[in-house]
Formats: sequence, C-alpha cells, structure tokens
Amino acid sequence: MQIEFQSVTHTYQSGSPFQATAIRNVHFSVQSGEFLALIGHTGSGKSTLAQHINGLLKPTEGQVLIDGQDIHAPGYDKKTLRQKVGLVFQYPEHQLFEETVEKDVGFGPKNLGLGEEEIANRVQEALEKVGLPYNEFKEKSPFELSGGQMRRVAMAGVLAMRPEVLVLDEPAAGLDPMSREDMLQLIKGLHQSGTTIIMISHSMDDVARFATRALVMKKGTVAMDGTPAEIFLHADELEDMGLDVPVICKLNNTLRQLGLPLPEGIYEEDALFSALMNLWKGGEKDAQ
Amino acid sequence: MLSDMTLGQYYPVKSTVHSLDPRMKIILLILAIVAVFTAGNSLAFLPVAAYIVLASRLSNVPFKMLLKGIRPLRFILIFTVVLNIFFLPGETVWLDLGFAKITKEAVITAIHYGIRLILLVMFSSLLTLTTAPVTLTDGLERLLSPLAKIRFPAHEMAMMMTIALRFIPTLLEEADKIMKAQSARGADFESGNLLARAKAMVPLLVPLFVSAFRRAGDLAMAMEARCYHGGKGRTRLHVLKMKKNDYIALLSMAVLLASVILISRFL
Repeated sequence: MQIEFQSVTHTYQSGSPFQATAIRNVHFSVQSGEFLALIGHTGSGKSTLAQHINGLLKPTEGQVLIDGQDIHAPGYDKKTLRQKVGLVFQYPEHQLFEETVEKDVGFGPKNLGLGEEEIANRVQEALEKVGLPYNEFKEKSPFELSGGQMRRVAMAGVLAMRPEVLVLDEPAAGLDPMSREDMLQLIKGLHQSGTTIIMISHSMDDVARFATRALVMKKGTVAMDGTPAEIFLHADELEDMGLDVPVICKLNNTLRQLGLPLPEGIYEEDALFSALMNLWKGGEKDAQ
Repeated sequence: MLSDMTLGQYYPVKSTVHSLDPRMKIILLILAIVAVFTAGNSLAFLPVAAYIVLASRLSNVPFKMLLKGIRPLRFILIFTVVLNIFFLPGETVWLDLGFAKITKEAVITAIHYGIRLILLVMFSSLLTLTTAPVTLTDGLERLLSPLAKIRFPAHEMAMMMTIALRFIPTLLEEADKIMKAQSARGADFESGNLLARAKAMVPLLVPLFVSAFRRAGDLAMAMEARCYHGGKGRTRLHVLKMKKNDYIALLSMAVLLASVILISRFL
C-alpha cells in the first residue's frame, strides 16, 4: 500500500482571525514496509500531517493519494481506509470508554460490521500482541488498569482492526522507562511482521534505533527526508531547529572535533564501537 | 463543526469598545435591554438599530460576526414570530382561519418580538465578542460584590464562571480529539436515526466526562497547593477603573434610552 502526499496544505479555521496554517505544500510518499519517523519541534505540523493519512482532516489544498486514489474523491470508501490505516493518537488511553477491556478493544471490529466470533478472535489476537493475556484482562474495566496497561489496551483497540499501516503519535510519551521500552519493542515487532509504521517521535535515540527513514518537519514544511544516517549528518541544522541528535551521534561529533579520524554520521552504538576498535587496532599497528 | 459558535466567543482585536470597562459594558447591556423592551412602535427600533450598527463599527468586529450569533436561534425566532402572528388578539382581521385569526395588530406585534429578539442577541454578542471571558467575569464579580453583605457568594460564583469558561475551549478540543480517535476506529457520529446517534455519543461522552473529572481534580489540587481559600482578603492584579470613554459610552446609552422613550410616547 502506497501513501502519497501531493502538495498538501492545511489551514485551520480558514478565514477567521484564528486562522493558522499547520502544514504547507507537503510532498512525500511512503511505501509498504517502511518505518518512517516524523520528527519536528512542537507546532511543526506533525500531528496535523498524521491526521491526513486516514482522512480525518481534509487538505485545504493538494491531495492525499492511497494506492494512487484520492481519498477525498466522492465515493471513496472511508471505512475501508480507516481499517487499513490505524491511527493511535497521543495519550490514546484517554479514549477508553467501555465497561470491559474486551468490549473496548472490540469497538473497532464491531464498527467494521464483523460477526461476534470474528470480533472475539481479533480481540484475543490484539490483546496477546500487546502482551496482555486475554483471559486475565478481558473482564477487567479499562479504568482500573495502570497507565502503561491502559495505553496497551488502547493500542490493541487499533490493532484489532488489522491495519496495514499504523500511524502513531508519540506512542511512548509519558510512560515509565520500562513501559516505554516495551511499547517500542512492540512497535518494532509489528514492523517486522509487515506493518508499515509511521511514528511521530521526539526522541532521536528512538528514531536512530528503529526508523528506516525519517522526515523532519519545520514550520509546516518538510525540511529533510532521508535515512537516519543521512539526517544525522546535519546535526547542526537539527540543533538549530531545536531538535536533538542521538547521544552516540553527539559523542562521535565531539570525538571528531577532538581530532580523532572517525567517519561522519555514526549514530549507532555498535558502529561507533567498531570504528573506535578499528582506530585502536590501527594505532597499535602503527606503534609496532 | 464545533468551532461554529459565535455566541460567547471572543473576537481578539483592539478597539474603543474592547477597552471599555467590563462593568460599564455589562451596565450598558442591561440599559440596552431596557431600551429594546421600551420600544413601543416600529419607529422606536430605529435608534436602537442605529446604535448597534455604530457600536459594531467602533468595535472593529465585522457586522457579519454579530449576525452569525443569530443563526443558532433561528428556529426559536421563527417559532416565536409565527406563534404570535396566530394567537395574539387584534381588531383589524386580515385572515380568518376559523381556529385562529390573523390580525394586523398581531402581525406588527409579532414582528416587533422578532426584532427585539434579534437586537437582544446582537447586543449580548457584542458584549462577549469584545470582552475576554475572564475580564467579563471579573466585571461581574465587581458589580455583584456589594451583595456580599447579604452573603451572596459573588467571588465564588465569578470564580466558577471563570473556570467554566476557561475550560470550554479545552473541552471542545478534547471532544474533537476523542471524536477523531473514535472515528479512526470506525465510529460513525453522523448517520442513523436519533437513537442510533445518541448511542454513538457514548464513546465520546464517557472519555470526555472522565477527563473533565480528572481535570477538575487536578485543578482543585493545584489551587489548594497555591493556598487558594476563597475570595476573602484576596487582592487583584488588574484593578478595574472607569475612564472618560466609559462615561461617554454611558451618556450615549442614556441618549438612546431617552430617544426610545420619547419616540414610543409621542410618535
């Protein structure tokens, strides 16, 4: 499934004194199987962009194409679109409403018009995927769970629709370190099993660890688009935009400034370690 | 869809009307209401209408915004006028339907009712459009504070109103977000009959209430943590003061009221 943005502009409350253009002339496409990270400072338009992917927001100008079809063309099947593109909002646990976890997770499949047995299967599958044993949790009220568990139930609610593309708006925000790591590993697992992932993130370390591609937003426009390695070459520009670079990237740059002949753009621990090992071994040889 | 409400919305520009004292603006609104109800014949509405047009010009608020406030009330408006046309008594019969008569007097009075309603909404919209909610409740609190002597909780009421107003945009935003989140899970808020639609609201209302209670709890805690203990002995950052313009505005309103009374009496 291919997602394509063609010169998309979105203006909120157009024509009123509160008018604000959130994204301007955004142009990019996403292929199946990618893990795309959306990065940007607060107010750079990431969330607005994300809400265009499943048609919740309509572009003021431009088009969003899914497999070559304009999703806002008359007669386009929005329901199927919502099933194919799952969207997990920031703090998704705030949308829980049912009496039991099972019913809440089953809300999406029920809206798809599936039969009861199929719904139960999907709920079980989705709950197991997010690491909550079905039998233990199905009868519980979602409001008596811990924050991390609530987040996972909300996530299961989207996964139960079996989306091909999963859009996540800061899925790890506000979680404790362990729940955070669990959440990221869960997303990584989903990516490995074939789901296309588009993740909004503030953490450059997460981007470095998981993304296959990163899109940097600046004041509503796409400032950079490339693999994490390509993006992190521009550490200075990122810092100018108020963004961070991964810790390893910073360390590498500092070592380079101190005069060590390390390659540019290293952002992974292993890569830096082997580069340093090479240097050290090389140094030993020179000494001999 | 939720941002389409003019009544009670603030229009943030600078103008003479915006900078008037909120207490004066509330008094002016009350006097304007008196003027609207004193107007006894068609001619008497002219100065009132002229006043609102002039005031809106001075306020830098587009006249369109004032008219938009009437839209949500259009059914009540039509209902009132139509009902009165049929059931008010009168002498000059225009049409006899058997169960009801349409008379000249009834038609004129009904139209007057309609005009009154429109003017009332426009005057109150002008107040809310030109006064930030917090300033407005501040003014209200000051106006009601003499009543504290008879144990009327003016400060508490104003604080409640301020908080309520403060949270309207927050809750609207929250509602919008939850609606989107449920739509992303295939929820349908727009089609179906009344019962189906009411049922569709459950996934929106439950999370909205949960978050409203959470916010209320957090806010109460935060206020207590900063030693809030009611209005007693509390000083304020912005002290309201009447200025020259306020008295000029009052004078203009007095002139309006006088002319409405005179026209109603003698023409």
